[in-house]
Amino acid sequence: MENHTIDFPGAQEFARPRSRRDFFKSLAVAGAGATAASMLMSKEASAQTSDVDIANFALTLEYLEAEFYAMAVDSGVLSGDALGVVKNLADHEAQHVTALKDLLESVGATPVEKPAFTFPEDALSSQSSILELAATLEPVGVGAYLGAAPLISSPDILAAAGSIAGVEGEHVVAVNWLLGVVPYANEAFPKALTLDEVSAAVAPFMGGQMMSTGGPALPPREAYRLGPL
Amino acid sequence: MSEVESRVPIGLDRETSRRNFLKTAAWTGAAFSAMGIGGFGVAIRRAEAQGEYKTYEGLGDAAILQFAYQLELLEGTFYAEGVEAGLFEDAFLEQIVAIRDHEMAHADAIATTLGELGAEVPATPQFTFPNGTFTDPTAFLELAATFEPVGIGAYQGAAPALESKDILAAAISIHNAECQHRCAINILNLVNPPNDLAFEEALPIEDVQAAVKPFGITG
Repeated sequence: MENHTIDFPGAQEFARPRSRRDFFKSLAVAGAGATAASMLMSKEASAQTSDVDIANFALTLEYLEAEFYAMAVDSGVLSGDALGVVKNLADHEAQHVTALKDLLESVGATPVEKPAFTFPEDALSSQSSILELAATLEPVGVGAYLGAAPLISSPDILAAAGSIAGVEGEHVVAVNWLLGVVPYANEAFPKALTLDEVSAAVAPFMGGQMMSTGGPALPPREAYRLGPL
Repeated sequence: MSEVESRVPIGLDRETSRRNFLKTAAWTGAAFSAMGIGGFGVAIRRAEAQGEYKTYEGLGDAAILQFAYQLELLEGTFYAEGVEAGLFEDAFLEQIVAIRDHEMAHADAIATTLGELGAEVPATPQFTFPNGTFTDPTAFLELAATFEPVGIGAYQGAAPALESKDILAAAISIHNAECQHRCAINILNLVNPPNDLAFEEALPIEDVQAAVKPFGITG
C-alpha cells in the first residue's frame, strides 16, 4: 500500500498565550453584553484574533453564500436536480447566518452587518454559471473553517465551526455531482486556507474590499497556515 | 432476489432499479437525526447537559487517535472488500474506490501521528460484517450510509477535546472528508438532494462505541 503522511506545521506556530484563552473563557461565562463588548475593545484583546473575530469573518462568508444562492433560486434558470440542491444550499447558508449571529450575541458580541455584495454580470444567467460560481465559493467556505478551527478557544464555537464546515464540504460534493465531476467526493484531506487566501477569494464580490471582522486587524498569513497541505 | 441477480454490479444504468432502497436510507437518516441534533444551538445545550465534551476530554489525544485509527480501518476494510467483491461499476465504483483510498490514507496519517506521539498503534481488529454485505450492493450502500455519520459524529464530538492544535487541524480536515463521503453515499443511494443537512452532528462517545461494537471494535 502507498504510504500517506500528514505534514504537520509546528505546534508553537499556533500556540496562543494562556491569558488569551482564559480571557475568552471568562468572556463566554460572563456573557454580559456591555461588559463583554468593552472587554473586546481592550488593547490586550485586540492583540490577537479572537473567537468573535473568527465568527464574524465566517458570518461574512455565510452572508455572501446565502445571498448568492437566494438570488440563484429566484433566477428561474434552475430546474430538476440543480434546483433541489441549490434550494438546500440557500436554506443551509441562511441557517448558518442565523446560527452565527445567535452565537455572537450569546457571548455579548455584535454580529457584523451584511456587506453589499456584487456578483459577475452573467453569474445568474444560466444553470452552469450558477454551479460554476458555487463550485468556486464552497471550497473557500470549507478552507476558511478548516483554517480557523485550530485558532478557536471556545469549545462551543469550535463545535459550531466543525458542524458548519462539514456541511460546506457536503455542498462541494453535491455541486461536483451536478457538474459531472467523478468521483464526487475526491479529497482525502480537504484543504485549510489562510485568512488572506479567503479574503482575497471573496474580495471580488465585495467591490475589491477585503473582509472585515468588525474587530482587530487580521493575523499575518503565516499564522493561519494550518492543517494538512 | 436470487444470489446471481444480487451480484450484478450497480452502475449508473441501474439507478432507477434501486428506488426502493431510498426508503431504507431515509429511515436510517431519520434514526441518526433523532439520535443527533437539530442545529448547533441545540448541540451545545445537549453537550452541556450530558457532559459530552468531557467524555472525550478524559481520553487524551493518543487514546482519541487510537480509537479513530480503528474506525478508519473499519471503514477502509469495508470499502476495500466492497471493491474486491465487484459490487459496483462506473461512477459508483470510482466513488467507492476513492473513499477506500481516503479511509486508508486517514488510517496511515493517524498511525504516523501516533508514532510521533510515542503511542502504540492498535492492532487491526478482526472485523465482522453482516451476512450479505458483500453480495448485495444495496445492503452494502445501506451500511455505508450508517458508517459515515458515525465517523463524522466521532470526529466532531472529539474535536473540542483535542489538546494539540496540530492534531485538531488534521482531525477537522478528516472530519470534512467524512462529511463529503456521507454526501457521496447519499448520491449513490439516490437521496436527492444529497446535501440534506444544514448542520452536521456530533455523537457522544458512548453512541460511537455502541455503533461500532457489532463490527469488531471493542476498544
